[in-house]
Amino acid sequence: MFGYYLRLALASFRRNPGLTALMVMAIALGIAVCLITLTGYRAAGNNPIAHKNDVLYAPAIDGWDPDQPYDKDKPWRQPDLLTYRDAQALVASDIPDRKVIMYKVADVISREDGDMEPETIIVRATTRDFFAMFETPFQYGGGWDEKADLGPEPVIVLSKATNEKAFKGANSVGKSVRWHDRDFRVVGVLAEWQPAPKFYDVSNGAFEDVEDAFIPFAFGKQFEMGAAGNTNCWKTETIDSFERFTQSECIWQEVWVELRSPDKVRAYREFLDNYVTAQKKLGRFPRPLNNALYNVEGWLKFNDVVGDDRKAMVLLAFAFLAVCLINTVGLLLAKFLNAAPVAGVRRALGASRRDIFWQHLVEAGVVSVAGGIAGVLLGLAGLWALRTWYTKVIEEFGRVLPFEAGSLVLAIVISLAAGLLAGMYPAWRIGRAPPASYLKAQ
Amino acid sequence: MEIRPIFSALLRNSAGAILVSLQIAITLAIVVNAVFLVKQRVDTVSRRTGMDEQNMFSVRVTGFGKDFNFEAMVREDMAMLRRIPGVVAATPTPQVPLSGSGSSTQFFSEPNEKGNKEPVAYYGADEQAIEALGTTLASGQGFSPEDIEYRDKDSPALPKSGKVIVTQEFASKLFPNQNPLGKTIYDNLSQPVTIVGVIDHMQGSWVSWKKLGHVMLQPQVGPGPSTQYIVRARPGEMDRVMSDVEVALKKAYNNRVVGKFHTLADMKRRSYASDTMIVVILGVVTALVVIFSALGIFGLATFNVNTRIRQIGTRRAIGARKLDIVRYFMVENWMVTSTGVVVGCILALVGGYILSTQYGLDRLDLYYLVGGIAGLWVVGQLAAWQPSRKAAKVSPAMATRNV
Repeated sequence: MFGYYLRLALASFRRNPGLTALMVMAIALGIAVCLITLTGYRAAGNNPIAHKNDVLYAPAIDGWDPDQPYDKDKPWRQPDLLTYRDAQALVASDIPDRKVIMYKVADVISREDGDMEPETIIVRATTRDFFAMFETPFQYGGGWDEKADLGPEPVIVLSKATNEKAFKGANSVGKSVRWHDRDFRVVGVLAEWQPAPKFYDVSNGAFEDVEDAFIPFAFGKQFEMGAAGNTNCWKTETIDSFERFTQSECIWQEVWVELRSPDKVRAYREFLDNYVTAQKKLGRFPRPLNNALYNVEGWLKFNDVVGDDRKAMVLLAFAFLAVCLINTVGLLLAKFLNAAPVAGVRRALGASRRDIFWQHLVEAGVVSVAGGIAGVLLGLAGLWALRTWYTKVIEEFGRVLPFEAGSLVLAIVISLAAGLLAGMYPAWRIGRAPPASYLKAQ
Repeated sequence: MEIRPIFSALLRNSAGAILVSLQIAITLAIVVNAVFLVKQRVDTVSRRTGMDEQNMFSVRVTGFGKDFNFEAMVREDMAMLRRIPGVVAATPTPQVPLSGSGSSTQFFSEPNEKGNKEPVAYYGADEQAIEALGTTLASGQGFSPEDIEYRDKDSPALPKSGKVIVTQEFASKLFPNQNPLGKTIYDNLSQPVTIVGVIDHMQGSWVSWKKLGHVMLQPQVGPGPSTQYIVRARPGEMDRVMSDVEVALKKAYNNRVVGKFHTLADMKRRSYASDTMIVVILGVVTALVVIFSALGIFGLATFNVNTRIRQIGTRRAIGARKLDIVRYFMVENWMVTSTGVVVGCILALVGGYILSTQYGLDRLDLYYLVGGIAGLWVVGQLAAWQPSRKAAKVSPAMATRNV
């Protein structure tokens, strides 16, 4: 029976090719727009380390200006970075299973012995747990140990791209590079690694490139290097040396902790409260107590990675899809009712209401499948165009609109559901039409 | 007017009319909110930068090695750059306007953190600052070569010369209704600087900052080992100048890295990339949704005409003029559109409210709603015109025929 209905549907399309094309196009455009906005939304809403979502935490404390909150539009928000001294204190706790303190610095990398074009690179000054906590994949070697952090020993982990430039991609473990006019021994080379969003540090954009290399945190202070990322200050204080800067109320550091049990989470929260309360007694932290411990998802939300614009766009896209569908319902209805005399004849010859309903639902289904396929293709073309245009402006923006299966599947499911929903009422309506009145008019 | 009979006729076969009304309602909600969003973005992107950004580019140079001398490098580079034909002016600066990177601080109109307080983005630059940025002084003067100070790591933040140039917008906030030229302003440690020049208008680094027009230039270079160079070329010669500068810079020194070249126009595009994308997507969606609504209205009107050929013929036969028939369908369509518009007003307001409260966007401006209503009425009538004309052409003889 299905095959017969399909043939009827195709015959009916041939009778009104323009109308059919219009319906298919309506669904296709609705689906395409949804696919594009959903892709952007899902890419930003992605959690690249979901399996450690409830183990990794970023602490946030509010030592900002007593006269005004850090973010005037969202006064409940803590600053997104920490002062040097607070970061040191928070990472000194024994409660976490793993912990990391870090910030970005920039300087020139070169090689004494080999041919390498000197280049300014962004380096993450961090501690040894970084690699295990965030599960960075290694191509060669690995991270460094506690001794290297304490020394600090001049060891460096290179990104895959930096290793390509410095050593043409060969195993460079044990070799040395020159950075900030000092020799650093390569202990590890990362494999391709680019979490999107870059969850562990979104302060300079959620889709920023991963750093070019990693060195022990203590070098940052030893070299007296300020942040290559953000630095924000509110307090009136004389800062005439790096030492004074590290003791200032300026925020430029980040801490993450790994807490493997709810007890530890509780304990660390308590630790945070105790720390800030103790600091308040010393005259710091003039704002009300407002501590938070964000898991990965919470952290991305806190930093507004998805962005209100993207949410609003998805909302508008679905409203647009609704218009397209209503349009299709209207057109189907008109089309079916125009052909009502045919249905009347079929009813008179013995077809049941249900038969008529199914016949027309199949016709609607074919329209929606065609619309869905065209919509997905159109959406992919749109994504491709936007990506091409976007990456021309900002290289890393390919990550904002990835081609990914999830959104595609979602778009196909939406188009089928939408198409059938759109076909339901007209098919029911035509099935209910009394055959006699149509036969009479013939 | 035959409103009543038209309305009863609509009610008898209401499914299509309801669908089209609903479609118009959602269309109005989308169009009004989308156009409002797009207008805001377009306004933001097209603000005047106050610079000659179409003819400017920047490059970061970073020195390294033991015997590297930052001041010597900058002085030699500047002398060399300014000799290249087609270069209007050049200046070193730590950060580039419109780029998203920069520094800001705050100043007071009186010492001891008193008086008016305003934040400002500040840029070190040398004596060609105003020329190289392509901005114009409303009053006062630029820096002279003697004012320029080459800082090292431990230099105090404020210029030794005590001179600064600020934008009119920033100055007027500190000294409303006064001539700011020659006035002294204070940082949060009460250290004074004097305003020696006032820039007509110029944008700083962060395009989403509310105080984008608050800019200060300081006669300072460094500290090294890294700095940006901003170069302004004569109109139409930027591409050639850029490649000449690249060759010259790379040839001049060994122990330094010459970074990527960026035009300021690119920086601006980059800073506004997400705004532009929103404008493109919303613009396309708005256009499509209006087209589909028009097609929906057209489809319904055509369907109504086709199913009522006999009725039209009868009316014509008993004396209705063509004009009456046209008017009938136009009024019918207007009623459907208006129902949609009324529901759409509610949807648009609810949508605007959700967007402003949930997603932190600005409150919908009601003029947009009025414009949307008028627009949809026009679109509706235009879409119904052709089917109505077709109806008017139905011959009175149709009354007696079977259809």
